[in-house]
Amino acid sequence: MITLRPKSRSKLFDLNLKPIGPFLAATIASAAFTGMFVATPALAASCCGGGSATTLILPKGARHLYDFSIDIESYDGFWNQDGEQVNDPAGSDLSQYRMNFGYAYRFADNWQFSAILPLVKNDNVYPGISAQNTALGDTTLSVWYETFDQITCVWQVNTFADLRPAIYIGSSILLPTGKSAYSDGVDNSFEVTGRGLYRWDANLIVEKTIYPVTLNAQGSYGAYLERPVNQEFDNAVEPYDKKLGDRRYLSASVAYTYFFEDVDALTVSAAIADLREGAGKINGQSDPLTEMKKSSVSLSTTYESEDKSWLLKGSWSHAISKDDWGQSFPITDIFTIGVSYVVR
Amino acid sequence: MLFDNLLRRKNRKSARYTSGSRMYKIFTLITATLLALSLQGCKEDLFPSDKDNRTETIITTVDFVATTTLDEVIDLDALLAEYDAVVLYYTMWCPLCDTHMSYITSAIMPNYPQTAFLMVDYVSGSVSQSRRSQVENGYQALTVIADSDQSLLDQFHATMATTVVISQDKLVLLNEDFKNGARLIDTLNTLGSQ
Repeated sequence: MITLRPKSRSKLFDLNLKPIGPFLAATIASAAFTGMFVATPALAASCCGGGSATTLILPKGARHLYDFSIDIESYDGFWNQDGEQVNDPAGSDLSQYRMNFGYAYRFADNWQFSAILPLVKNDNVYPGISAQNTALGDTTLSVWYETFDQITCVWQVNTFADLRPAIYIGSSILLPTGKSAYSDGVDNSFEVTGRGLYRWDANLIVEKTIYPVTLNAQGSYGAYLERPVNQEFDNAVEPYDKKLGDRRYLSASVAYTYFFEDVDALTVSAAIADLREGAGKINGQSDPLTEMKKSSVSLSTTYESEDKSWLLKGSWSHAISKDDWGQSFPITDIFTIGVSYVVR
Repeated sequence: MLFDNLLRRKNRKSARYTSGSRMYKIFTLITATLLALSLQGCKEDLFPSDKDNRTETIITTVDFVATTTLDEVIDLDALLAEYDAVVLYYTMWCPLCDTHMSYITSAIMPNYPQTAFLMVDYVSGSVSQSRRSQVENGYQALTVIADSDQSLLDQFHATMATTVVISQDKLVLLNEDFKNGARLIDTLNTLGSQ
């Protein structure tokens, strides 16, 4: 039986882990869009943790975090550039599976570093062709600064100071370690597991917990770095410079935490997210054909062990299969299961 | 005594190998291995080059015969007898393909009436399925080839969004990703087929 009961602060402060999941690679009806990441909170809100689409967040006081998760993303049509929902070809079955290896390390009281490395499998079946490919995806490295020295989660609001939220300011870089259209040895779009460009993100998380409820808002702004391209799918082409459009991600979530008798905790959260990418550039000229957007909703749950070292998590991110919920982007469902281990 | 000391030291050392440190080693090993593999597989992306690796040779293609989604048989020779050039665009009915096809239809095709534009569907597997995808995506007005056996895919070493321009003398003037369409327009302009 689940009961909600107050705990001492010292115990509750241990709940603040919140790795937010491996973000999602939304591939085009195959892998061609891989790397257009859409956040999936793999761990629901918990005390003073936080996260973004592209990183793991350590709880206050913890030194290491190891994270492993599996994403299963299935495709169900797409939005065209007018925002209209269009079905995938009848008889097609398009999926992408990702194993995400994550690690976070606290190198100062309020500073932490994290890395996420995905292994991606594309599984695309059309009536006339099918392809399965496995390769690394793009790697994310992040640095976060916590603007607070003490845990800001409270059970009651007694003073104005109790309303202070936990604010995280971070920066991430996406390394093109995946197979892109410009990589050596990539023959077709089914083999693509990365976007082939570096991207720098500025991230912000604001979170407030007044038990048992947590409110969380996240945002990030990313800029791709221009790069030269001299081959496409192993075919030499006239060299040109390519840059994808700036990326904006916003999400908001609300969570509720239950505490079991033996101090285990179960957190359930609901979130809404919006991802947009602007026009890219080819040789300095605007390329509006790469613009896209996607809105999604998600449900997440996390079970935390009594000693707060182990977390089991699951989430479901759902893109609404209706007009105007996206543009030039696949409509997908993403199921994530994962486990995290925290070392203090 | 010496043995006891060694045993105590060994036990202390063992105690230090907590589950956390074991996890650390495992993760470090996995991460290092994957990173090492990734660096081998994606050098071109991590350290991109602007070196022009194209050869001077312009490829000449052979004739092909294909079936459209209206069950019409077309062949390259006949098309080139009627048009200045033939453009092939490879689609898998994806969001990016839709964006490209929409742009080709609205911004490129009207300016090149002496060019034949053919969309190549290499994923549907049959004429009927290809036609259904064409209609559902709103491109009834375009000529779509049902490349059910992927013969055109293989002939031009193509993939999603590959764009091919073939001149009247069967030279392959362009064979690359569509991108923003500028290369296609430049190539068609050199043919003077407006």
